[in-house]
Amino acid sequence: MTGMTDDLLASLIAATQEVFEKMVSSRLVSKTPIVGEALRPSSNVVATAAFTGDRCGVVAFYSTTQTARDIAGTMLGIPPEDVNGEMPDAIGEITNMITGAFRMRLAARGHKCAISVPSVTIGSDFYVKYVSDVRRTLCPFAMDDRQEIFVELILTEDGQPPASADSR
Amino acid sequence: MRFLIVDDSSTMRRIIINTLHKVGYRDCTEASNGREALDRLAASGADMIITDWNMPEMSGLDFIRAVRANAATRDLPVLMVTTNAAKDDIVAAMRAGINGYVVKPFTPETIKEKVEGMIAQHAGRAAPRPV
Repeated sequence: MTGMTDDLLASLIAATQEVFEKMVSSRLVSKTPIVGEALRPSSNVVATAAFTGDRCGVVAFYSTTQTARDIAGTMLGIPPEDVNGEMPDAIGEITNMITGAFRMRLAARGHKCAISVPSVTIGSDFYVKYVSDVRRTLCPFAMDDRQEIFVELILTEDGQPPASADSR
Repeated sequence: MRFLIVDDSSTMRRIIINTLHKVGYRDCTEASNGREALDRLAASGADMIITDWNMPEMSGLDFIRAVRANAATRDLPVLMVTTNAAKDDIVAAMRAGINGYVVKPFTPETIKEKVEGMIAQHAGRAAPRPV
């Protein structure tokens, strides 16, 4: 990894931890980031938000459906078993806040960016493939010692916003 | 005290309403964008507005400008809650006429302190006009 990517990753990890501490009352423990395409988590919920400007790329959030329901329940103040249609909106908002907090940290380093509205995909047997030339780094987090979430930083090599295609 | 909560995220509206309920403010109306919020204001009014910035149909900034342009609503205190945290963003929001600004993510205490501060401030004087 380059120094630049290390800085960006540290910013994304700090942004994710801040969002979970304030909005989900959870302390996330960061694990060793995984660089490259080799390993993707088997997740049922994937949310993405793009950023573009001085740096271009995508922030992606991954979790199981149960973890996503737990997160939504905590945010909404209701038991996870009562969470139904609210979960995609809650996970989209979490991803929006992570990307927004990441953007704020980029701005503090002199990189101005705009962010897109988040999109949330829920299902099974799918992965997101980027047709642009991108560098992917997956950041695993332990949540409350029980569950795991992943946040991925996808940076374009050419400085352009990445194009993606959902694949099976 | 009647609150109008404007955000396209139902989750964020619920978080803000839960926070207000915990500190004793139970009269909350919701809208999912600026245009819907103007309809709610015309129909039932409000004593304070808490609004997001990035929303479909009508943004928070355009909504605040419309609120300030209407004689019936121009003095309402407005708190903006948004992920837009750059200095330029805050200046733009102040020019549109906000009274307070909270950056997401936030703790319930932050919302509570900001709302109570604005209520105390508003009791003493009218909201600022757009710059």
